[in-house]
Amino acid sequence: MSISVRNVVVEYASRCILNGIDLEIEAGEFVSIVGETGCGKSTLLRLILAEERPTRGQVLVQGKERARPDRTCGYVPQRYSLFPDKTVLDNVTFGLGFFRRPEFREEALRYLRHTGLSEADASKYPHQLSGGMQQRVAIAQALIMKPPVLLMDEAFSALDPGTRRGMQRLIKDLWRESGTTVVFVTHNTREAVCLGTRVIALAKRDERGSSIALDLHVPHLDFDSDEEELARLIAKIELNAGAVLSMERDDDASPVHTRTRV
Amino acid sequence: MNLLRIDAQPARVPAWILSWFLFAAGIAIYFYAAEQRHRENPDDRVMPTVTQMVRAFQDAAEKPADGEEQRSMLVTDTLATGRRFLISVALLFPAVLLGLHMAMFPYLGACFLRFFQFFDKIVALSLLPILFIAFGIDELSKIMLIVIGVAPTIILDTVNLAKGVPREQIVKGFTLGAGDFAITYRIVLKQIMPRVLNSIRLNLKAVMLFLFAGEMIASTDGLAYRIALLRRHMGMDTILPYVLWVALLLFAVDLGMSTLNKKLHPWFQE
Repeated sequence: MSISVRNVVVEYASRCILNGIDLEIEAGEFVSIVGETGCGKSTLLRLILAEERPTRGQVLVQGKERARPDRTCGYVPQRYSLFPDKTVLDNVTFGLGFFRRPEFREEALRYLRHTGLSEADASKYPHQLSGGMQQRVAIAQALIMKPPVLLMDEAFSALDPGTRRGMQRLIKDLWRESGTTVVFVTHNTREAVCLGTRVIALAKRDERGSSIALDLHVPHLDFDSDEEELARLIAKIELNAGAVLSMERDDDASPVHTRTRV
Repeated sequence: MNLLRIDAQPARVPAWILSWFLFAAGIAIYFYAAEQRHRENPDDRVMPTVTQMVRAFQDAAEKPADGEEQRSMLVTDTLATGRRFLISVALLFPAVLLGLHMAMFPYLGACFLRFFQFFDKIVALSLLPILFIAFGIDELSKIMLIVIGVAPTIILDTVNLAKGVPREQIVKGFTLGAGDFAITYRIVLKQIMPRVLNSIRLNLKAVMLFLFAGEMIASTDGLAYRIALLRRHMGMDTILPYVLWVALLLFAVDLGMSTLNKKLHPWFQE
């Protein structure tokens, strides 16, 4: 088991966020977590990251409970994903070591090329790159550490639809090649279904906090898949999540031409 | 008329003229008033003419000071004040490090934060007599006054700046294998450094204020000592150039720091 979340409850003050989450994620899975804003999906991600600890229950990653984030999990947040004071190259080599060794540089350039950046970008500062490029660097920065688990928190949500689709393809390819376990938090059901091999919908049933409303293994859909199948899955997830999840207008980016609403 | 609209777009030349207008007007009014006063009383000492001021400043800059072989009064005073100023500013950097650690390590924050929040509210000048009694009236008490007056502000500001670094950056550091000190220095300190330097720049004025207070009350050299001394002789012809000289020096230091800041942190956007 790559990630085990066992009977986890998270409470802030008197407010219950997550209630009775049980989740086993196997190595190599691509798990999308969807849910409405405020349903605790980011909290779940932070639990796996070990940034937060559950009020009750246990979170094991690679069989270990951790006190704080470490190299077990790579992390790509939506914002502030790069160090603004470091060049692209220094961002990517940050985790490799303090000194600038030539082999680090080579390795970093290999990862940068792989995520779609050129050597000329390596000496730029993050603010000189577009949002999509920044996230590419952030992915390279995380993957160069070869983490067993990669956690992405709305990593593409701030990008425009065209860029976003390119990034979705990229992450799926990288996932296939590296065999790392990916946990991808998003509020976009379509993105969740297209990317994940498994979709987990969190929903708030009542005041006792959110729980898993649906745990669905999805067929390998890819991006050119059958619209009807995609629409059926999205409808099913949204019905189960008990609310209309936000469907972002990404017609121009999506290969799918009709829209489904629940 | 769209001169007084918020969407007005002044052309370059008028904007440039306007930006110098108050300087020119101030100088012109001074000339006129000084001229008037000297016409009524050629020995007027309140508003010296420009010729008098230039002469006095030349004397200050060229003639050796009392008890000095070569150095002039102006050089002696500038060096004395500059030395105290530099020591005081240098002593602000440990304050930055203390603030950084207070923000990063919760136990240090718990230990120091409340204390410095209180300490910051003490009016430093009210401590001056205590400092003179405790440390004597030599250099130490003057530098202590500056440090006590400015360091708490710098510490608290650094705490806020360090706490303002997004949580994501610190988590990212952890996931890239960084430890506590790597995160504190390689991520947080590097990121807040340009803002810290700006904060120190803003506080240069306070540094000078405390420095001048100390020099005016208890000193035998320094720019403020000279100004206070000349007041007794109504030496406006030297005081006015001295005031401008101090402003010029402070302006140069500030400009230097701002340039250095931009050079050191080309990534900084603000």
